[in-house]
Amino acid sequence: MKKRGLGVGCMFYGIGFGFSRQDISAATIEICEDGSVIVRSGEVDYGQGSDTIFCQMVGEELGIPYDSIQLITADTFTTPNAGPTTASRVTYVTGNAMVKAARAVKETMQSVAEDILGEGDLVFMDGEIRSEYPDKRISFRDLAKTCHARGVQIVETAWQDITTKDVDPETGQGDAYATYGWASQLAEVEVDTETGRVEVLRIIAAHDVGKAINPSNVEGQIEGGVLQGMGYALTEEIVQEGGYLKTGSLGDYMMPTSMDTPRIDSHIVEVADPDGPYGAKGVGEPALIPTAPAILNAICDALDIRVTELPANPENIKRLILEKGKEEEAS
Amino acid sequence: MAGKEDKVLLRMKVNGEEAEVAVKPTWTLLRVLREELGFTGTKKGCEQGDCGACTVIMDGKAVNACLVLALQAESKEIETIEGLGTADALHPLQKSFIEHGAVQCGFCTPGMLMSAEALLRENRKPSLEEIKIGISGNLCRCTGYTKIIKAIESVSQKNREALTPFRGQ
Amino acid sequence: MQNYQFHGPRTVGEALNILSERGDGCRIIAGGTDLIPALRNEDILPDSVLNILEIDELTGISEEGDTIRIGPTTTFTEIIQSQVIKRSLPLLVEAASSVGGPTIRNRGTIGGNICNGSPAADVLPAVVALDGELELQSKALGTRIIPAAEAVEAPYQTRFNRDELLTGILIKKLPSETRYAFEKLASRNAMARAYMNISIVLKLDEKGAFSDLRIVPGTLEAVARRMSAAEKILMGRQPEDSLVEEAADAFVGDLAGVWIPDYKLPVARSVFKRVLKRALNGSGVE
Repeated sequence: MKKRGLGVGCMFYGIGFGFSRQDISAATIEICEDGSVIVRSGEVDYGQGSDTIFCQMVGEELGIPYDSIQLITADTFTTPNAGPTTASRVTYVTGNAMVKAARAVKETMQSVAEDILGEGDLVFMDGEIRSEYPDKRISFRDLAKTCHARGVQIVETAWQDITTKDVDPETGQGDAYATYGWASQLAEVEVDTETGRVEVLRIIAAHDVGKAINPSNVEGQIEGGVLQGMGYALTEEIVQEGGYLKTGSLGDYMMPTSMDTPRIDSHIVEVADPDGPYGAKGVGEPALIPTAPAILNAICDALDIRVTELPANPENIKRLILEKGKEEEAS
Repeated sequence: MAGKEDKVLLRMKVNGEEAEVAVKPTWTLLRVLREELGFTGTKKGCEQGDCGACTVIMDGKAVNACLVLALQAESKEIETIEGLGTADALHPLQKSFIEHGAVQCGFCTPGMLMSAEALLRENRKPSLEEIKIGISGNLCRCTGYTKIIKAIESVSQKNREALTPFRGQ
Repeated sequence: MQNYQFHGPRTVGEALNILSERGDGCRIIAGGTDLIPALRNEDILPDSVLNILEIDELTGISEEGDTIRIGPTTTFTEIIQSQVIKRSLPLLVEAASSVGGPTIRNRGTIGGNICNGSPAADVLPAVVALDGELELQSKALGTRIIPAAEAVEAPYQTRFNRDELLTGILIKKLPSETRYAFEKLASRNAMARAYMNISIVLKLDEKGAFSDLRIVPGTLEAVARRMSAAEKILMGRQPEDSLVEEAADAFVGDLAGVWIPDYKLPVARSVFKRVLKRALNGSGVE
């Protein structure tokens, strides 16, 4: 028989290292004489899309297209240390360093622009600096050239430190992290009671990311996290025998394939963090955390069986179904 | 007859061009493509056919280059990601992958694209289920497959529209 | 990988010569989906590797009277796409479709699936359920034909002589109204080794009683074989619920202990009943 169930998993998750562990990042922005912009930071983009959002952030501040920015990252020879890509911290920490450095450069350039265009409300957009008077404008490139001609410093390094206080050692109470991501996921599953096999039909994932700098990237993080969480819940298992790893290959360690992918509906919730860049927080790890609890709750809804050991593979589910049957017979 | 240690001459076509390489009998097609011919777009993943990162098209079929002995590729036509498109002239699938955010770390991407290309050549308008089957030999740890499937679906949809005769005139 | 000599004959005759000269230290490679990982892990250390993919006589599907001949180097994809197989041996299409993913199916062959002798083979049990026969050739013995059910002696060990080459899989077309079903249970929906698979082929007589029946599970035992206890109970009788339960008990009782973790027995029982019901409810081949 096939039984369906719904389950919810909720989580909050600290962004950054927290617990007084040092958490710092740096970025350097240099405006060249020809108006090109070079951004340097030690942060590694290993697929999550941080390079893209750094360019978006710097482009937003300086009013230039994001794809015109040259980014040099993850090279200890040329870039300032930004800490590792872990702890869902990159957008929050290095993103802030990016914005700070860009604003520092912009401030200098703005004062030179005011000198040329006269004081007033100047805006940096579409590759130029405009005042409220349509005839008073200067291109970003010309302004960069003027800055260089005048010997003005338009290289800035920004430093972002989100190291928090530790919690009270006696009570364990306190605010351990700089900020927190929040999420709820709902899973719909179908359990084959004869085989114990669980099929995930659908995941609805709502994540508070503060501000989605790049919504498509955020969805990508959520969808990837959901499938990792699904693997964690149902199939992925490290098996050791006598100290030897028995699941050391991708043929033995069962991660989900395209054919296991359920429908995933991502909902991006934006409750701006006062200290995040444009309000942004992090989503990397939060994406996979609620998935397994949601799936296990859905299994419980379907079978009235509480799974307490992972993975909830056919072996374990069938064993639990049989045990429950025996208990019911006995009572 | 050549001894066990000796290299043997292998002739095949790679991305439309003749290639001649002296290979050891133990080498796989993957090793020859990457180490001897420099087609490093074909990724070396698990080397036992479980991950699909090394997928190339051989005589029209998607295969794992790690599961083909180099000498089994004699006289075959091999297509790698380098033959699919270039940075200046992207293949429609490559364009769609970028537009849909279907690339994260990128390690599975070349193999994923070659599987998708092989699928679309056999079936210009695959259904969602057929797309999922078509890339089921290619593991991806980052994306959850969703955007990859959408990217291929979008090309399939365009093919569908291109093949549908205009009505109403 | 240990060094070996590579042979690429173009005819069966050449291949048989090489096998007769080098029999013991020679391994045959076709799609390589099982052999290449074994070579890489040095699970096997052959002196020579004989590639049979370039021998035209060994590939393709043909009809010879009431028999279908499948060349051993025919890939799973070719089997799935073959109109002849779809029409006359649809069970094979289901079994072949459950193998790996498309890249594996494009390369892996039916002969390889049989000769590798893996307990977890998906297609071999289906061939046994279809009462398939294997044509073997060697210089020493010429041509001989054995039932597919006798191909494998122990896991990864066939009963073929070292100088023998599998040259054809011969399966009689299913008589009209023969019904069939196949199901594979695995932890994921692709690229998965089976927890178990079950192939069933059956025919009912005009009274609705079983007149022909072959039940072959895979992965549940060291070697795929017919489940004769369950078959015996069902043969000549009508498929009533109580009888199916009785057969299911016999099916489970017939499975040897070593290969079966406890949890698999009740699952195997359920899957058996499900596959049998599916076969009974199916429309059967024309």
